[in-house]
Amino acid sequence: MNKTKKALFSYSFIFPSAFLTLVLGIYPIAWAFRYMFYDYKGYGTARFTGLDNFTRILKDTQFWDSVVNTFVYAGGKLLITIPLALLLAAILNRGLRGRQLLRGIFFMPTVISTAVMAVVFFTIFNSYNGILNQFLIKFNLSESGIDWLGPKHAMLTVILVAAWGAVGNYMLLFLAGLQNIPEDVYEASSLDGAGRIQQFRYVTLPMLGPVMQMVIMLAIITALKGYESIMVLTEGGPVGKTEVMFLYLYKLFFPVGGGSAAVQVQEFGYGSAVAFVSALIVGMISLFYFYASRRMNQTD
Amino acid sequence: MRIRNILGNTVLWIFLLVFAFITLIPVVITILGSFKTNAELTTGATFLPGSWHFSNYSEAWEQANFSRYTLNSLIVSLSVVAGTLLVSSMAAYVVDRMDFFGKKLYIGLQSFTMFVAVGAVVLRPQFDLMVKLHLHSSLWGVILILISAHASIFFILFSFMKGIPRELDEAALIDGSSLGRTFWRIILPLLGPGLGVGALFTFRGAWNEYLLPLVFTMTKPELQTLTVGLANLKYGISAASQTHYMMAGACLSILPILVAYLFANKSFMQMTAGSLKG
Repeated sequence: MNKTKKALFSYSFIFPSAFLTLVLGIYPIAWAFRYMFYDYKGYGTARFTGLDNFTRILKDTQFWDSVVNTFVYAGGKLLITIPLALLLAAILNRGLRGRQLLRGIFFMPTVISTAVMAVVFFTIFNSYNGILNQFLIKFNLSESGIDWLGPKHAMLTVILVAAWGAVGNYMLLFLAGLQNIPEDVYEASSLDGAGRIQQFRYVTLPMLGPVMQMVIMLAIITALKGYESIMVLTEGGPVGKTEVMFLYLYKLFFPVGGGSAAVQVQEFGYGSAVAFVSALIVGMISLFYFYASRRMNQTD
Repeated sequence: MRIRNILGNTVLWIFLLVFAFITLIPVVITILGSFKTNAELTTGATFLPGSWHFSNYSEAWEQANFSRYTLNSLIVSLSVVAGTLLVSSMAAYVVDRMDFFGKKLYIGLQSFTMFVAVGAVVLRPQFDLMVKLHLHSSLWGVILILISAHASIFFILFSFMKGIPRELDEAALIDGSSLGRTFWRIILPLLGPGLGVGALFTFRGAWNEYLLPLVFTMTKPELQTLTVGLANLKYGISAASQTHYMMAGACLSILPILVAYLFANKSFMQMTAGSLKG
């Protein structure tokens, strides 16, 4: 077979994939980044305004509030998810009866759509006739129920829902990492008289290091960018208490009418600038984490 | 020592069972709730339904238009699975077996789209493109955009492709089989397990997708998928009074993905368990 024929064949096979990626993947990103420097509402003409959008971001308290909320949300989610996932993985990695079934149960939430589950959690946490409050009142655990989606507890509720959906995923990744640790290391340490907890501290944790580093990195990025379930559950409300960075960003492009929406008008130019800054924040944090965790490994 | 062991095991099992309970309870509430009357859901704190109303499903199916939503979801998911597997397996084949100018650039491009995501920003230009192509008033726009995001499936199939011995397709070529024919008759059948994993991932993603169908059906409710139609019920005019439809709808949307997951559970667990071993 000659060379040109092979090349022609290669290009014809790669074309659908490359074409779709360029047109629907790369071009939209370029589109957005161009409008960072424009005043563009999504209709009419775009006016070049240089760095105006970026000076506006500096003064945009709603945006910076959403950044703070994002950190609270991501931090809370990680604090619950990672230790729990690690603990479950460590338990289910050993010869325990019924572990296959338990793994299946714990992983199940991750296959269900976050949007659908947020709808269900809404009927559970709903303050007035939510299932949880009815239960609390019926068994005299609370007099009038807790305002789960109110200003005081909404963030906690949102974090709990997110953690519910994420633990299984990281458990599975940790399990995969644990299977890399050879069984004889455990045998040797138990011959030396190490108990289960000591084994976990001195064998499992150090040997899981590299996998843990990768999983936490993944978890940080996902937590910083997640907003779908919040959108369905609270729309960022009440009074912006659960408004996170990427939800605020979404609303600049597709303003939502109802609820406690912070944004009412389309702002594509400004939205693009906000998107750039948000992506930068996520990138910087993951980079910071990457170097910090690498340093920690080196000093060990 | 023995007593300590038994005590430790008891604590362990209590922890595991409590956590399994927390994991399962929202799903159980949904399933049981889908058989309750609306009044029972909004006022009484019963766990089991007072009487089982199987009619919720047929009513949700007809009155709340879930037949339409389910059909839309199926069209989107199945088309995306077929399109993604085709496009990415073709690309994986030539990237693994051939040498051509621009190969490195292509791989770089795919990694870029996988790692750089700026959220909802890209939705607007994607929507504009579909308006120009006159695809915005059907679900084809959504399908094309979902197929275009195939980078991760490409890399999965690429790694599976490496496992297929080159001697096989070289032998076929010597026997006079054309490259295209070799791909269809020899490579694709051998790629079975990889295609299966890819199909499961793609189906899960497309079936659960919320943002894209939401944006594309804002003015066309008849095109809504299950996830969108369901979430919209929450804000609808009669939202508060139709919780039983929401529960039935949620079950309808969870069921296919749960069944697929149960079937694939074993191979899936093994796949991910091995994937980090490198």
